[in-house]
Amino acid sequence: MNFRRWTIIRRLVQVGVLGLIASPLAGFSFFQGSLAAGELLGIPLADPLAALQVVLASGVVASAFLLSALGVTLFYWLLGGRFFCGWVCPVYLLTELGDKLRLLIPAGKLEIPLKTKGWMLLAVACITALSGVPFFEIVSPIGMTTRAIAFDGRSALLCLAGLLLVEVTLARRLWCRSLCPLGGFYALVGRVAPLRLRFQPARCSSCGDCSRVCPVAEVLVPSLDHGTEQIRSGDCTRCGRCVDCCPEGALTYCFGYSDQGGPR
Amino acid sequence: MSGAEEETKRVSRRHFLKGSLALPLALTVAGGLLTVPSLRRADARGFYLRPPGALAEKCFLGACIRCGKCVQACPYRAIRLAETDAGVAIGTPFIIAREEPCQLCTDLPCIKSCPSGALDKGVTEVEKVRMGTAVIIDRENCLSIRGLRCEVCYRNCPLIDRAITIEPRHNPRTGVHTIMEPVVHRDKCVGCGICEKSCVREQPVIVVQRTPLPQQDAYEF
Amino acid sequence: MALSRRDFLKASAAAAALAAATGGRLGATDVHAAEGGIRWGKAPCRFCGTGCGVLVGVKDGRIVATKGDPAAPVNKGLNCIKGYFLSKVLYGKDRLTKPLIRKGNKMVEASWDEAMDLIASKFRESIAKHGPDSVAMFGSGQWTVFEGYAAAKLFKAGIGTNNIEPNARFCMASAVTGFMTTFNSDEPMGCYDDLDLGDTYFLWGANMAECHPVLFSRLIDNRLKNPKVKIIDFGTRFTRTSQMADKYIRFNPQTDLALLNAIAHIIVRDRLYDENFIRKHVVFKKGKTNIGYGLEDKFKFADDPKPMTFDEYREFLKPYTPEYVSKLSGVPAKTIEEVARLYADKSRKVNSLWTMGFNQHVRGTWVNNLVYNVHLLTGKICKPGENPMSLTGQPSACGTAREVGTFTHRLPADMVVMNEEHRKKAAEIWGVPAEKIPAKPTYHATEMFRALDRGDIKVLWVQVTNPFQSAPNLSRYRKGARKGGDRFIIVSDIYPTRSTELADVVLPSASWVEKEGFFGNAERRGQQWFKMVEPPGEARNDLWQTMELARRLGHGNLFPYKYVEKEMFEEYRKFTLGQGKDLAPYEAYTKARGLRWPVVNGKETLWRYTEGYDPYVKAGEGVKFYKNKPNDYKAVIWARPYEPAAEAPDRQYPFWLCTGRVLEQWHTGTMTGRVPELKRAYGGAVCEIHPEDAKRLKVKHGDKVRVTSRRGSIVLTADLRGRGKAEKGNVFVAFFDENKMINELCIDAYCPISGEPDYKKCAVKLEKA
Repeated sequence: MNFRRWTIIRRLVQVGVLGLIASPLAGFSFFQGSLAAGELLGIPLADPLAALQVVLASGVVASAFLLSALGVTLFYWLLGGRFFCGWVCPVYLLTELGDKLRLLIPAGKLEIPLKTKGWMLLAVACITALSGVPFFEIVSPIGMTTRAIAFDGRSALLCLAGLLLVEVTLARRLWCRSLCPLGGFYALVGRVAPLRLRFQPARCSSCGDCSRVCPVAEVLVPSLDHGTEQIRSGDCTRCGRCVDCCPEGALTYCFGYSDQGGPR
Repeated sequence: MSGAEEETKRVSRRHFLKGSLALPLALTVAGGLLTVPSLRRADARGFYLRPPGALAEKCFLGACIRCGKCVQACPYRAIRLAETDAGVAIGTPFIIAREEPCQLCTDLPCIKSCPSGALDKGVTEVEKVRMGTAVIIDRENCLSIRGLRCEVCYRNCPLIDRAITIEPRHNPRTGVHTIMEPVVHRDKCVGCGICEKSCVREQPVIVVQRTPLPQQDAYEF
Repeated sequence: MALSRRDFLKASAAAAALAAATGGRLGATDVHAAEGGIRWGKAPCRFCGTGCGVLVGVKDGRIVATKGDPAAPVNKGLNCIKGYFLSKVLYGKDRLTKPLIRKGNKMVEASWDEAMDLIASKFRESIAKHGPDSVAMFGSGQWTVFEGYAAAKLFKAGIGTNNIEPNARFCMASAVTGFMTTFNSDEPMGCYDDLDLGDTYFLWGANMAECHPVLFSRLIDNRLKNPKVKIIDFGTRFTRTSQMADKYIRFNPQTDLALLNAIAHIIVRDRLYDENFIRKHVVFKKGKTNIGYGLEDKFKFADDPKPMTFDEYREFLKPYTPEYVSKLSGVPAKTIEEVARLYADKSRKVNSLWTMGFNQHVRGTWVNNLVYNVHLLTGKICKPGENPMSLTGQPSACGTAREVGTFTHRLPADMVVMNEEHRKKAAEIWGVPAEKIPAKPTYHATEMFRALDRGDIKVLWVQVTNPFQSAPNLSRYRKGARKGGDRFIIVSDIYPTRSTELADVVLPSASWVEKEGFFGNAERRGQQWFKMVEPPGEARNDLWQTMELARRLGHGNLFPYKYVEKEMFEEYRKFTLGQGKDLAPYEAYTKARGLRWPVVNGKETLWRYTEGYDPYVKAGEGVKFYKNKPNDYKAVIWARPYEPAAEAPDRQYPFWLCTGRVLEQWHTGTMTGRVPELKRAYGGAVCEIHPEDAKRLKVKHGDKVRVTSRRGSIVLTADLRGRGKAEKGNVFVAFFDENKMINELCIDAYCPISGEPDYKKCAVKLEKA
């Protein structure tokens, strides 16, 4: 399929998010803040991991904040957890760019398991509770990127360039695939999310295009191999590249649970 | 469960032990190592003038999620975000009073904008704000204390006659003039930094510092 | 160490070798030996009428430092924050350094010759075509004595027109007419020593804490030393002065007239007056009432004074009962009684001090008269520590505008053009035929700008002032200035201003110690300084500019001096001798830190009209108002009624607007606006509003408000926490800000007697913007 419908929509959404974050600079006021916490048309939005860290670090419980974090969690649960990564997060866009760069220069091939994210999440929680600072918000490339966009933080951009370098030379999509604790959080949410990818084995011609474009091929491939009806993994970012590239239309989005799940 | 499935599980467990556990642990240690020096660096930097309503510094660092909403809420662009050199305080909001002090908006939009409670929503009046305390750190260079009619800090104080008052005393050098000394009152000073900004000396002689903790004793005066 | 000028020049010649770059003359009575290469000279401060002495430090032809002059009796080494930054006011980046001539919408650099040729040709043309009254000079209370004297001489004795006015008409004229109508001689009897010696001080419409900072410091010190001292501040706005006063008495704008009459009422009713003093030194008079506001062009007024008896005066005061005036003014009747008793208390040395609240008043002359009434009734006048004292706002409003007489109707030393003998005397000293000086005054400042708007004045030269920011009802006069036709405007200044932008020719001037000068302060103290540095680029002294025009118009013979300043001063001095306004020889001023006239036999006079102090009062006379010959050497108590303001708030425009100054900025901000530190300390004009009014308008501190009068509209930041607290129904805006010209809103109503506009009262409305 040559018309990359989902990818185009997704790019529009990603750029739209960047635009939202930058909009206050242009004097607009429909969006304020960043991905850690923002306000869209008066609706408070909060990063659930940030909220968790605040509680762990300082013990300050701002109920409105936690409620909006819960709302955001529900939203991403509906859309598939790591939908956040694939469609919203600016760092994901950055590492996608890294992916493209990898085609141009000799790239590192280190592989780190996807599950590391989960452990990173635990580690962030521990360090946060022990140090009394929301640890991830300090080092998070997501925070740095959004701050760099909204507030012109030049040194943050330097860090991001470093990240890109690591991505290209060390391991493909290292951060988003394996390290990002927020990704880890949403991977947990995504496990039980109703928006999934549907696989129709009957149509599959086993051309392998999907596994080549998938950033987390290790969760896609076993499902395909097993011929399961849904890709249930929380690691799937619901980016839809496989949907776009499948020449046979064997992969589509679907909403709802099927009993016959594949490996998580 | 088929044998193949069992094999997968075992492999993944080994995988887990080798990769998934070791790596995060290593990274945790690395992260910790990164955190500790930066924490110390933040302390060494001393006093950050935080936006109105900020919790005590330690608590504030924990509760602030570095979202920057207060920066966008400030109509005077007084609030800025700390850069990477701020260590653990990176991305947190602060004010450089000498460049642009807090103008103490009546409705305190920065506090209203804070989602996480790092800026205390209980602070609803500017008089209740406690960002720090102005201190005349250099009496020798203070023009008012030298008898000149300056008192710019006093006249610009948004809590004039409360946070800063003028204590007149005889000027023995001229014999016929008054030294009009600006005196900061700690119980009223909100620490907005307008005095620091307005000081006409090249180096401000009045600056906002961390409010000293009260020390109890039995005396009433 | 005292140096004569010649010694001084010799010394400078040596110094010039050091400071080879410029060779600028340093001047002082005590030139300290190079102190880190810095040479110090004395000068009065460039700003307000207080007249603080400063020492100016010069190195390599540049002012590198200034400091308060410890030897100066006025300030004894202190300064306010403006004075502290004197060294920076001349060094703004945008100093004018070349003459500019308008070519269409552009100002093009030109040589002095081109510029002066053009100016002279415009003067000649206009005089030939429309007569001498079609050219005019608008000068300043910041003119040096020489500049003002040269301009007055050129216009009155050379060109033959009385079209010369100083900006002092906007600030001091009512004080002048107050002095003239009551004492027949301008300027106060007292001096700053009264601030140390008295014990009761009434401040009327004066924010001394900000506008006369060093004097206020002196007044407060008196209170620190003497627990008896009481400072009572009458005002329509709570200021820093009110804050430090013992009592602040708020009154409704314009009702000061009624209050002073009520005070006199109580003093007369309860026989608290000094009967002996009244019998010996006072006559009673009444003038016209319902005298108008001068709102219409070519408004004319002449008072018709009629003598009255004390009993008639008593009758006149009858209606001003404390109860009636309390209703009018908002001051409790009890407070009025207390104040009257304080004024009359025989154990108290009472002083009244006032500034623009009285002078910028549609009944400015009257209110000046009324405060003298109270002092004359109680005999608390002409005594050490016991005087009414009019404070001034410009460094030489007294010295130049008033003493030299650069008003349309005046000649030097209290003389006026309407008086034939005065004209004769002036003509004799000036060496011109008496007919040369026209007998009729022409336009006072506001009328001058009206005449320019109408086209009656074609050529206007503005020196050392910024009228197109400082005039009231500004829009009309700004538009009038650029109406075209034969109008031709010359502005001499040191920086681009809101006036230079309307000019056809802009001349770059030398300022302050870039020229030799002489100022006279509010306590009759004349102060001289030498030129210490060269002006930048091609900038030149206004005095030179005026004399150059004279030369080109064929009046060069009026200025036949070699050492211009000294010889001109000695000529001017002839006017003052024997007139009770005697100035000392020029030489004396080069040495002294100022001398208070009359200076007779080298001795200055602290208290005028007073035996033992004033050499004109003979032994046994006690007090003698010797200048008031027409009134038998007595002072006049005037029956002046209360009359309302020209424009009071109504439903459409429900607020009073008052304008004024702040400590950090001076006048239109031309100089102080170039000092970054002062800009940081007080950057822009704001609108002080009472919190309750703000609440009603849903305006918070820091919000933008639109202030609108019948004449103009402006958006300002609301200030509810400021140094000044507006009373309910009042707003206050400072006028220094060239980007927020509040004077566009001010009404051009003026006191019919003094011609001084009322910048303190007009009606405005507020809207949230």
